[in-house]
Amino acid sequence: MWTSGVNALWRAAYRRAVRSAFATVPLYRERWALGGRTDPVVVPGRTGTHGGAITAEEAVRKVVDLVPLAGGAASPDPARGLGHVLPLARPPRPGTLVVVVDPAIPRPPTDLPNTLRGCVLDPASLTGGTRPAALDEVVTALRRNGNVTAVGPDEAIAALVAALPEDLAHRVDRLPHRALDRLDGGPFGLIHDPVLGYLGGIGHCGRWHLDWPRVYARRTTGGLALTLLRQSSPRLVDILVAGGVRGEVAPCPRHGTPVVLT
Amino acid sequence: MTAVCVLDPRVDPQPPDWPGFQRASQLHPVWDYELMGLEAWLARNPPLLALVRQAGRIVAAMSVMVCRSWRAPRYAPPPRRRPHWPRPLWAEVYQPWLSGFPGVVFAPGLDQDGRRAAARAVERALPRRLGPGLLGLLYRAIGADLVPVLAGRGRLVRRTDPAAVLDNRFATEEEWLASLSKSRRGGLRRQQRALAADPTLVIRGGPGRDDLDAVAIAHLINRHRAGFGRLPMDPRTPVAAAYLDRFLRRPDVHTLTYHDQDGRLLAVHTMLDHPHTPVSQHWAALREADGGRPNLYFDNCVRAVRYTVRHGRARLSSGRGLLDVKRTLGFATRAVYSVAVPRPVMGG
Repeated sequence: MWTSGVNALWRAAYRRAVRSAFATVPLYRERWALGGRTDPVVVPGRTGTHGGAITAEEAVRKVVDLVPLAGGAASPDPARGLGHVLPLARPPRPGTLVVVVDPAIPRPPTDLPNTLRGCVLDPASLTGGTRPAALDEVVTALRRNGNVTAVGPDEAIAALVAALPEDLAHRVDRLPHRALDRLDGGPFGLIHDPVLGYLGGIGHCGRWHLDWPRVYARRTTGGLALTLLRQSSPRLVDILVAGGVRGEVAPCPRHGTPVVLT
Repeated sequence: MTAVCVLDPRVDPQPPDWPGFQRASQLHPVWDYELMGLEAWLARNPPLLALVRQAGRIVAAMSVMVCRSWRAPRYAPPPRRRPHWPRPLWAEVYQPWLSGFPGVVFAPGLDQDGRRAAARAVERALPRRLGPGLLGLLYRAIGADLVPVLAGRGRLVRRTDPAAVLDNRFATEEEWLASLSKSRRGGLRRQQRALAADPTLVIRGGPGRDDLDAVAIAHLINRHRAGFGRLPMDPRTPVAAAYLDRFLRRPDVHTLTYHDQDGRLLAVHTMLDHPHTPVSQHWAALREADGGRPNLYFDNCVRAVRYTVRHGRARLSSGRGLLDVKRTLGFATRAVYSVAVPRPVMGG
């Protein structure tokens, strides 16, 4: 439950991420040493703009400088975090086939639990002449009374469902993507950003929960800045997604864990 | 009366007499105090500036890099935050982006005894500043003239890779070309004609350029350096875009860029202008396998020599790499030494 102790741990994890980024990541070193940042301040007297946060566009443009000095991956994984937010938004049964239908996600998620299978399906391939093998697998799984969860933008999920036989289409569980600036009333959905990956989802309470063990959010003058607490490279700290979204982070009255209010 | 002052350019204000000393000693632009501060923030081993004053006048300056284990992939800790226990470190008197030049300069006219006394004074001051973890001091890229000043009992002197220098004894570029071997001369002329006739190549050069993408240049330089593998005990950090962004705008820094017709940066060369010895500083190019072009290196050498000859500079310094190639371009080598001073003999 969300207690002041847990809040302190969440915040401590964020401060560790900031300190580590300042000590090892070129872009943050430049930005915060020369310009400054807030909460925490790393160079006395320098507070920077937007509390030291950077836009997602800048992060993509300078992604090479988000690799720590020790080295690491230089490209963000847009499917990152799916395995952790699925149980939050729509707990899958063991054996569920998770189909990511998003043209922006070329590779399957790497963090799904062992009890789930994952694949990607480019929605453009559904309308082409060749039937994609992943679609056959979806049909086979549904015919065997298996569970299939489709994850992606609304239109991509709709294209997948339209490509399925009519008697099977209604059996696909849908988990639509929502950008941080387009959070709706649900009842199902995942917060997704093309750079940071999956950030949270709608919980049982109908509120947009953050994947708080892995994602930190704070308010800045530029909008909500998000941090991936456990990704070592590229290091994404204080990223203003969706052009900077005004909002706040508050504890969920039912679960006590942080939810996003925009 | 000798006074030593060790400054951290990250937080300490510029001493009022430093710009005057820079001008009088004709220091290269990397000695600019603000640039040293930028460099220090963005370095694993940040430089300090040690100044020796006699009778209130600066007589010596050292760029002292504070080096921690080169295995730790971290930037230096913020200034003035002392560790709870003494961590091993060493100091290197070195100007990281001025290849072939030492990190110590003396006021014009200071004799050998005065130089020795000034260097020893800094050596005595450094342990006070850096704490009990200081293992010793290393003077890098010392010229033969400074070896007697810095050598002594218990100190290790080693000759290292020499630096390439071209003494300008030419009235025109043609005279320089005429001094080269026939094959090299012919090759350079062919390359110049081919590059001039290539419509897909955009070559721009000049001082104080503000039209450059420092991020792209930093990436190209770091990629180029990484391609040679990690040098043993190299205390330098990858060059930072923020540093270049400020550095390349200086009027005494010339930048030569090669782009293709799509605007992709193919190669870059920076040269530090100087009334006596311009320095060919960074050279970086895409490999041909990655879309780079051949012979751009030779073109940048021709342009650097052309500038040196046309502006009557006495000498062109060109770093310590590719010496075989530089010899064919008329460069000679200048002996360079390192002097290691273990902690027990520092200041003695």
